[in-house]
Amino acid sequence: MSSTSGSATADKPKSEDSSVPQRPSEALSKDECLELFRLLYLARYFDVRLIKEKKRGRLRGTLYSSHNQEAVLVGSLFGLQANDWISPIHRDMPAFFLKDIRAGWRNPERKGMSIEEVCCQVWGKVGSPGRARDNWSHIGKRDAKIIHSTSMLAGTIPVAAGVVLADKLNGGNSVVLTFNGEGSTAQGIFHEAINFAAVHKLPVITIVENNQWAYGTPTELEYSLPDFARRADGYGIPGLIADGQDVFDVYDKVMQAVEYARAGNGPSIVECKTFRAYGHGDHDDDRAVRYREPDQVEKGRERDPIAVCRKKLIEKGYLKGEAAKKFFAEGKNAAEVTDEDFPPEVVEYLKEGIEFALKSPVPDEAEGAMWVFKENA
Amino acid sequence: MATLEMTYREALQKSMFEEMDKNADVFLMGEDIGRYEGTFKVTKGFFPKYGTRRVVDTPITEAGFTGIATGAAMAGLRPIVEFMTMSFSILALDQIINHTAKIHYMSNGVVKCPIVLRGPGGAAKQLSAQHSHSMDGWFAHVPGLKVVCPATVADVYGMLKTAIADDNPVVFYEHPRLYAMKGELPDDPNFTVPFGKAQILREGKDISLVGYSLMTQINLQAAELLAQDGIDAEVVDVRSLLPLDTETIYASVRKTHRAVVVYEDWKSGGFGSEIHARISEDCFDDLDAPVGRVGGLNVPMPYARNLELLAVTNENDVVAAVKKLL
Repeated sequence: MSSTSGSATADKPKSEDSSVPQRPSEALSKDECLELFRLLYLARYFDVRLIKEKKRGRLRGTLYSSHNQEAVLVGSLFGLQANDWISPIHRDMPAFFLKDIRAGWRNPERKGMSIEEVCCQVWGKVGSPGRARDNWSHIGKRDAKIIHSTSMLAGTIPVAAGVVLADKLNGGNSVVLTFNGEGSTAQGIFHEAINFAAVHKLPVITIVENNQWAYGTPTELEYSLPDFARRADGYGIPGLIADGQDVFDVYDKVMQAVEYARAGNGPSIVECKTFRAYGHGDHDDDRAVRYREPDQVEKGRERDPIAVCRKKLIEKGYLKGEAAKKFFAEGKNAAEVTDEDFPPEVVEYLKEGIEFALKSPVPDEAEGAMWVFKENA
Repeated sequence: MATLEMTYREALQKSMFEEMDKNADVFLMGEDIGRYEGTFKVTKGFFPKYGTRRVVDTPITEAGFTGIATGAAMAGLRPIVEFMTMSFSILALDQIINHTAKIHYMSNGVVKCPIVLRGPGGAAKQLSAQHSHSMDGWFAHVPGLKVVCPATVADVYGMLKTAIADDNPVVFYEHPRLYAMKGELPDDPNFTVPFGKAQILREGKDISLVGYSLMTQINLQAAELLAQDGIDAEVVDVRSLLPLDTETIYASVRKTHRAVVVYEDWKSGGFGSEIHARISEDCFDDLDAPVGRVGGLNVPMPYARNLELLAVTNENDVVAAVKKLL
């Protein structure tokens, strides 16, 4: 097993496994690259629409925005196989419908959630896989290989590790991506889970969405490493660093870790450096303006993942002329952006999901006490 | 039917061997359970027989391995997790309460979690403040867990089989002072003991002694002492806390019209208080005296043997509580 030593070695080849390509994104076709671009819009629009729905008073619950972090979700999920698992957290709501979306946005067979299911979860309606038994982000779907999250955040990492342990004991070859903010990495269970996975070489890829803020606490009060990825050194596992604003770089680093795990080498940590656009949740937006300096926020948001992707696609020659100038969602807050800033198919997709959720019934009152126990067959 | 005589520990081993032979999805996980064969030697002989795939030695990581076993159960396996002592399950409470116990409910009944969390709980001998916890009442407070506390050799054998077959998480509560106890069990690999069925281990007409785990054995000893004084005590072994068989308990109370609930946990807020409250609520008209309650002293378990003996319930405490009510 290769281990990082010295500085975090995002770009160094892993000596034992030279078969893992360093830049798998270079093999993506033009259509796939353009799809990555569209998916960034989709993730952004989901966020924007929910913010607008809350402002309109059509929605309750707390919104943990993934604005400015979309490349982490899109880039890390794009290369997974259908039977791989994910365990997203509260800030990753788009992950639920982005999983296996390459199989077709509306494909009912795909191993992910439909937009209708995700919207039903958000609105607390029966159409969600959990029939709205718990809040927005506490959602899982076994058939889609999506593990429920909990408010304990890193507490889901051992559960995810256990799921792939079971697959491994049964001769399977799946991997799991567990998503965490850098904040939850300070929990003891983060260590316990990753140490266990390292000892038993479990295919667990821990995506650390380093958005610089744990609620109101900055990284210098969270950990004392220059790069969080170096934490991996202590476990003898690879620690990779991805530019969290660049969907292609995230894709490359996560796919390196995925292939490494699938080959039986064990877990990795992939630190995706990004920046949280708003407050911790929408209840915190007003205070976040005070605990974060305006120039710090401006700097953290200056590389919008949509803009970074647009630039790359223009460089590759995949976006030209008028097409390169359309749909300028980047750099705009939810209050500033309009439907005109997004591709129409993205707007339509969300509209279908939201309308479905609004029309769906709430759970029957009798359901409240059901399913505490499984009745043995 | 022919019977076998063996210890409580041997009955546990026999039960696990038989279930692991039957079902390849059953596997063991815990600290020092494989190569070392278990601190209390419950897993003696398992690693040589089943190897690394089915006997997983873990780092010292209660929260970690509980979560990992929970994930494995969610994905279709049937893990048996050993806590070296139930006192260490405190380290895993977040995993147990927030993941293991809730996933079936949160997934609206789609994801089951068939896991057995087993190990010795309660005071052994001079293991002091941090190794002597009675965690049964803590777990029996949580919807989504089943909690069983077998008191006899036959029960520990038959209830472990039921626990492994159950599609829910089961906290399987053994007692360190029972491991060496000898007893009989039916010579039948298909013998099981269902959850939610209390049993009368000794019939009597004057008072009901209600307890579980080691306290059932204490109650049997107390009943012997009471008999010398002409008091005819009935011993009700609760066996399973969740689900709780109140009918058998109530039927006994309606016969004797008096009851003492005996539990090892701290007296304040222990599960015995719940049984006490149920009897008081539901059998009020049948009672000739207030329901008695004997529990552990509300102190961290002292190390010095004389102080420990003061803190742990014994048969004389039960006799004294009975005599106050007659």
